Amino acid sequence: MDWNLLGITFITVFLAELGDKSQLAAIALSSSNSPRAVFLGSAAALLLTSLLGVVAGAVAPQLLPVRLVKAIAAVGFAILAVRLLWPNADLPQNPKEIL
Amino acid sequence: MNLDILPTLSGESTTPPLVEAQTDSFIVVGDSSNTQQLSTKKKSFGAVFGSTFFTIFLAEFGDKTQLSTLLMSAKSQSPWSVFLGSAAALITTSLLGVLLGQWLANRVAPKTIKTLAGVTLLLISITLFWDVAQF
Repeated sequence: MDWNLLGITFITVFLAELGDKSQLAAIALSSSNSPRAVFLGSAAALLLTSLLGVVAGAVAPQLLPVRLVKAIAAVGFAILAVRLLWPNADLPQNPKEIL
Repeated sequence: MNLDILPTLSGESTTPPLVEAQTDSFIVVGDSSNTQQLSTKKKSFGAVFGSTFFTIFLAEFGDKTQLSTLLMSAKSQSPWSVFLGSAAALITTSLLGVLLGQWLANRVAPKTIKTLAGVTLLLISITLFWDVAQF
């Protein structure tokens, strides 16, 4: 285990991701949802992308076209945004109606 | 605790109504908080985990962090050091993000926070569409 390299990677990735879109998404999603689910979902997704970066490396972008993947992600975020902004969308004011 | 104190504080004649009132209020408080917790958990855990996982996974796929992880692991002889460093950093940033989100949720009105969160997600969506168009 190369601890020096581990530390350098940590600092690089940490600074690059600070305030980046996935962290903003985590802030936005956790403010109106179960924070544990958002944390686990976000951490699992980020772990998988970096695992793919290490294991599949140069092959990964060829397996899945990045442009298409990003377009799907954009649609996904748009759906989440619309669900939050839609008037009277499941506001947590009357939780008994959901049950 | 209450059961120990009650008999000494209130005589034998007033014990039944006091106990009744106490148990009543206890049940009501416990019940409402329980159903609320249950409903939010039932409603969201799987759905929230799934939607968070897929949107963030797809958004980060082929992004600069994944590319730099790839470059660093390709250049170095120990790709697992790179993976562990990157993984620890990403877990830390998501934890910070979630903590900040909770901090905000406790200070801003639910309706306002919903609007802010919706606008933020909409902006992320627009920047992703912009990335796609720029290719």
